[in-house]
Amino acid sequence: MLAYLQNIAVLFCINAMLALTLNFIMGYAGIFSLAHAIFFGVGAYATAYIAMYGTDSLLICMAASALISALLSMALALPALRVRGEYFVAASMGLQVIGVTIFSEWKSITGGLGGMIGIPRPKLFGYVFNNDGMFLILAFVMLLIVIGITALLVRGSFGRSLMAIRDSESAAQSYGKHVNAVKTISVAVSAGLAGVAGSLYAFYMSFINVESFMLETSILLMAMVIIGGTGTLFGPVVGAALLMSLPAALTYLPFLPPSELGTIQQIIYGLAMVLLMMFRPGGLVGGRSREKSA
Amino acid sequence: MLFAQLLANGLQTGALYALIAAGFSLIFGMTRIFHAAHGATFTIAGFIFYEFYSVLHWGWPIAAIASAAAAGLFGVLLDRFVYAIIQRHEGSFFTVFVASFGAAIVVQNLISIFFGRGMVTVTTPLSKSIELMPGLFIAPISGIIILCAVISFLILQWLLTRTNLGIALRALGENPNLIEVYGLTPRRLSQYVFLIGSVLVVPAAILTSATSGLNPSMGNHIMLISIAATIVGGVGSLRGAAVAGMLLGLAENLCLAVIDPQWSEAVTFVILFLFILFRPGGVYGRAIVS
Repeated sequence: MLAYLQNIAVLFCINAMLALTLNFIMGYAGIFSLAHAIFFGVGAYATAYIAMYGTDSLLICMAASALISALLSMALALPALRVRGEYFVAASMGLQVIGVTIFSEWKSITGGLGGMIGIPRPKLFGYVFNNDGMFLILAFVMLLIVIGITALLVRGSFGRSLMAIRDSESAAQSYGKHVNAVKTISVAVSAGLAGVAGSLYAFYMSFINVESFMLETSILLMAMVIIGGTGTLFGPVVGAALLMSLPAALTYLPFLPPSELGTIQQIIYGLAMVLLMMFRPGGLVGGRSREKSA
Repeated sequence: MLFAQLLANGLQTGALYALIAAGFSLIFGMTRIFHAAHGATFTIAGFIFYEFYSVLHWGWPIAAIASAAAAGLFGVLLDRFVYAIIQRHEGSFFTVFVASFGAAIVVQNLISIFFGRGMVTVTTPLSKSIELMPGLFIAPISGIIILCAVISFLILQWLLTRTNLGIALRALGENPNLIEVYGLTPRRLSQYVFLIGSVLVVPAAILTSATSGLNPSMGNHIMLISIAATIVGGVGSLRGAAVAGMLLGLAENLCLAVIDPQWSEAVTFVILFLFILFRPGGVYGRAIVS
């Protein structure tokens, strides 16, 4: 039972990190990306490759994952600089599909559909995180670091520039904000931190394949952000907690057939998305009257 | 002969994509609603047809009418009871999009509860391939698909240019505030747009059920294709959606001559990505200002 709860807690930390980083571009920069799972995946694959064929040092793997994700995020920043709204959503969806194809077909690096098996646990200053309890502490510390970084960036002048751009790009530009630079940096930070989450995920699961990085994951992350509250600091964490505890809670309902659990869970979060958008578009944490700008 | 075969397959896929994209393009161009649940409409239409034709054996005309009724009803109800409520508090495009996406997820999972997650196919004598030339196999249904696409587009063209309803709908796409001055209600017209757009997907759904088969999760692919074709063609341009649907269908099949089939979906989205980067207005679209 304790192991089960530990498992959920670690996955919650990873998902909360992803939701926080997605919220960073969605809520504060107005960049509605449906390709977040790709950067999660890039981080996971980078760590898996380095840990299996190079070193299992936590810091090196994590830094490499963050760096590679941040560099590849330029593919997302490019359309973000050119188009907004519906067009950008479409572009990010396209990127998501292309990414999944690469993950499942570039067999020499990603292991294809079979994925990568036997990723070792990370080592930090000579200590190997073989104990799941210790890994939970590591995941929790990383979550706190991500919360700290996003909070600092959002509260500071960078965050104010971001929100100014979200609300009116031309107004921000006329006040001398470097719109393109700010957008590019925010996408890179978000993708880089998502890469860190991917790195943790690969170390924890010791097995990864493309199934974890599909469009469904991007949508689930988006649902976490939206259900929690877009553009709020703790909304994404609340959303992640809710959506992560949903499957666990459903297993306790005796009248549901176990084979349909996944389906019912999906129906519930689909319905939650529809109803929230209709009656409370600001999310659970956000205020009732808050309007998001597109 | 490989090339001719790929070209024939490409034309067939392209005609289907054009039909699918037309509905989405119509809805998006005229109401500005990013109707991600368009894929769900497609799945509903396909499975209702399968239920009536292959399970209940009620003959194809009744099955087709039932399927059209279900698709139209789904579109109109979604517009009336979800989008209308969101738009009342001036929801942004993303709010509508997320709600639409949620609806698509619900539909996909409900269908997989009722019909199972597997693939279902409607078998007709028309879907058996005939060897026209050595190495070139074509099923009679390919011809029907292309014919259906042409007829649908002619009807739509007539509807939009020759009838009062069509003129009102085009005005809705141009300037929703102005048409109120002329005593029309945008919300009422929006219902018609959803009815037409949703029913448009029915021929494609029926024909797909007879060619490549249906499964509950195909809605996602349909949605991606319709979004891609709408943007590549140019938002608000029906001709654009048709041309782009055909282009994507051809590209997806012709690329098989040089690369492995697993990559063919990526080709579609590389095309979309390039269009968004270099020509976001699409083939026929107006230049968009960000």
